[in-house]
Amino acid sequence: MEAVIEVKDLVKEYIIVKKESGLRGSLKSLLFPKKTKFNGVNGISFSIAPGEIVGYIGPNGAGKSTTIKMLTGILHPTAGSIKVCGISPQADRKAVVRKLGVVFGQRTQLYWDLRLGESFELLRRIYQIDKAAYEENLAVLTEVLKLHDFMNTPVRQLSLGQRMRGDIAAAMLHSPSVLFLDEPTIGLDADAKHAIRNFIKEINRTRKVTVILTTHDLDDVELLCSRIIVVNNGKIVEDGPIDSIIHKLTPHRMLVVELQEPCDDLSTPNATVIKQEGLKIWYQFEKDLVSAPELIAALSQKLPIQDISVKEPNVEDAIREVYKTTATV
Amino acid sequence: MVSSIKHYVSVASCFARLAVQRQLEYPLFLFSWLLMIPIQYFSGIWMLKIIVDRFQPLNGWDFPQLTFLYGLGLISHGIFVVFFINTWSIDHMVINGGFDRLLLRPMNVFFQLIASYVNFIGLIDCIPGIIIFIYGCEIAGFEWSLVNIGKLILVLIGGILIRAAMFTGLGAIAFWTKRNGSMVSFALTMLERATMYPLSMYPYFLQALFTFVIPIGFISFYPAAEFLGTDNGGLELPLSFALWTPVAGLVCFLLASVIFRYGMKNYESAGS
Amino acid sequence: MLQAYWYITKMKLLTNLTYRFEVFTAVATNLILTLASVFLWQTAYKGGSGAVETLTLQDVTTYTILSITLSTIFVCGVQDTIYYKIREGQIVTDFYRPIPLLACYLADDIGDMLSSLMNKALPLIMFASIFFGIPWPASFQSFLLFLPSCLLSYAILWLLSALVGLIAFWVMELGNMGMVKDSIVRVLSGSIVPLWFFPDSVQTVSKFLPFQYTYQTPLGIYIGNTNAGDALTAMSVQAAWIVILFLFLAAGWARTKKKTLIQGG
Repeated sequence: MEAVIEVKDLVKEYIIVKKESGLRGSLKSLLFPKKTKFNGVNGISFSIAPGEIVGYIGPNGAGKSTTIKMLTGILHPTAGSIKVCGISPQADRKAVVRKLGVVFGQRTQLYWDLRLGESFELLRRIYQIDKAAYEENLAVLTEVLKLHDFMNTPVRQLSLGQRMRGDIAAAMLHSPSVLFLDEPTIGLDADAKHAIRNFIKEINRTRKVTVILTTHDLDDVELLCSRIIVVNNGKIVEDGPIDSIIHKLTPHRMLVVELQEPCDDLSTPNATVIKQEGLKIWYQFEKDLVSAPELIAALSQKLPIQDISVKEPNVEDAIREVYKTTATV
Repeated sequence: MVSSIKHYVSVASCFARLAVQRQLEYPLFLFSWLLMIPIQYFSGIWMLKIIVDRFQPLNGWDFPQLTFLYGLGLISHGIFVVFFINTWSIDHMVINGGFDRLLLRPMNVFFQLIASYVNFIGLIDCIPGIIIFIYGCEIAGFEWSLVNIGKLILVLIGGILIRAAMFTGLGAIAFWTKRNGSMVSFALTMLERATMYPLSMYPYFLQALFTFVIPIGFISFYPAAEFLGTDNGGLELPLSFALWTPVAGLVCFLLASVIFRYGMKNYESAGS
Repeated sequence: MLQAYWYITKMKLLTNLTYRFEVFTAVATNLILTLASVFLWQTAYKGGSGAVETLTLQDVTTYTILSITLSTIFVCGVQDTIYYKIREGQIVTDFYRPIPLLACYLADDIGDMLSSLMNKALPLIMFASIFFGIPWPASFQSFLLFLPSCLLSYAILWLLSALVGLIAFWVMELGNMGMVKDSIVRVLSGSIVPLWFFPDSVQTVSKFLPFQYTYQTPLGIYIGNTNAGDALTAMSVQAAWIVILFLFLAAGWARTKKKTLIQGG
């Protein structure tokens, strides 16, 4: 299938002015500012197929936002090529942005002092959506995002969760085929997060909208994304289905054993005790060396076991592992 | 082409309606402006009267003529402030990433910048402008013929385009410097002194600068001198300034939009 | 205690010095204003007109340059500070701070003043001197009297600003009245056209208002239009205004504080 987004060897260079401290430093940088170059995005390539939900994640300053801004035509890349729906956003911005919906979690596009509907009407005119299609689409969005209650409230009086739903609706009015969400759940309560995640799944299923999501909330990633791309220091460090990344990055499993009575010798081959709290003992083992049943069998022969459980690593562990191993040199 | 114009008009009118609605959310807020702006401009013309009464006409410009010039300059400033005030925030938008949202919409960015804010409050600048200008016309003996009114409209349009071009060009510098230059107050001061006072007071170098390099003189000084038949410092052009001002305005405006477009390529959406 | 204020002042000074570009344009703006004003005076005095005036063209030129220079130094951020703090509702938390608020705002403004002296006033005087010659004082004595008079002027301006800032507490919706005050001060302080040129009636009224004691008094001393004896009298009027305004401010501030703390914002 033809890719929706095709990125090749993308580079974005920034020039940073260094400021020095102290009165002397201030005076010095007043007259001779020091400039250095650095690549915020440093050779990124990937391609995204229609209908995917991709988590684009990385620590602060990794180059996430910069990449998103280049994909949406806001920034011009220093080098490399971008194709969105077969068109370069730098060559024909207007054609590309018609197909995109973009939500910045920390920056609303709604008018602060006006009712939601008024911002929507402006967007209807900007995107030249015909009245009938607009009404129909708005009805669906209102239903799914539950906008009824606050359609006529000035945006400044909305809760963060309501505002975010309004913002997402605003981004979907022109029925884009790709939706970019930058931190869509930041600062929201559990209910609002749930509603937004459901909406994303829904539009992905029914309208085949491709979704690219940047987030620090790994629950978003776990619940929504079929694939994640991890960036750090301007480079892609991992790209693939969530399960395989977890598998690859965290070879360790954890076995938690609760004993009936205290024992002196807890040691066992193939596993190490990493924590002990009263009668509870945590064993760490590598799944390639020994399987969980084997280990349990070995331990139960040796120790009086009351209860036992195996802990799977989660995305968070995996991501932390990635950040650690790819941290700045 | 026609549908494209329709599209832009439809968006512009919606933008305008929303902008006025937003400003009327806090109507009392206008009160301080309503006091400050008339005080500022009426006192300005009063200062001129004190100086002329005490000394002499300024290079041949007596008080009625000065009032006409002052009023004309102020009206053109007032209309500019209503329609083009967003050109003042270009540098801020460059630094805060304010162009991000405009770039995400399938319309011309400069159009969105200008259209997105019709500054209703700017009408307050027009009030003293109109009062002073009409008073100036009265005492300076300006003839309200159809031809003169037509010329006046052309001069105002040209003058507003020159102003818009100046602020756009100055604001666009921020695309390269990435600095908030507070160029606005600089340009405002310069414009006020060159459009509301006779340009011929200044040394020849400045007169030439404000005529040929930054054609501020075309906004009000040369047209006013032509309307009233006063000394304009020696610039002779064929035909009328009602023609030259719009021409200068269009040239500047096109130039500024080219600079803006180039600058946009340098845009680095700041922030996260 | 004083150390805390000095710290505020120093921080303000340092942050201001890092903004290179703003400083350049601020100097350019004031230079334009100076040039335009002096050229206006030159035109008015042209051809021997004004020979009968007590002020010579040189006097007026010096007056104008110094007036604009003073306006860059006399920083009264306090009116905006109070206005915004009230608007954002921050004033309540500030009241709970251990040190007097107004003194903090003053320390802040003094920091601005010191940095402006270095990066705005000095360059402006230098450039203006290139165009019109150095604006010397009338005598060494008048210079010595000019300095304390300036400090008194600043005190009057600052107190006025703080008072106007307080208005926001009662009628916040009306916007920032500081702008209105500024436009009145500009005219009635004689900062643009010395009040001596104004009609007599205006001059008489003005004697009973605080405004002319902010710009015209020190500038008159500087150019020697006010002799030493009159200068001392003028300075005592300045001092009297400071006392009056201070009493108003203290009363207004106390009421504001009481009302704020009772309402909790």
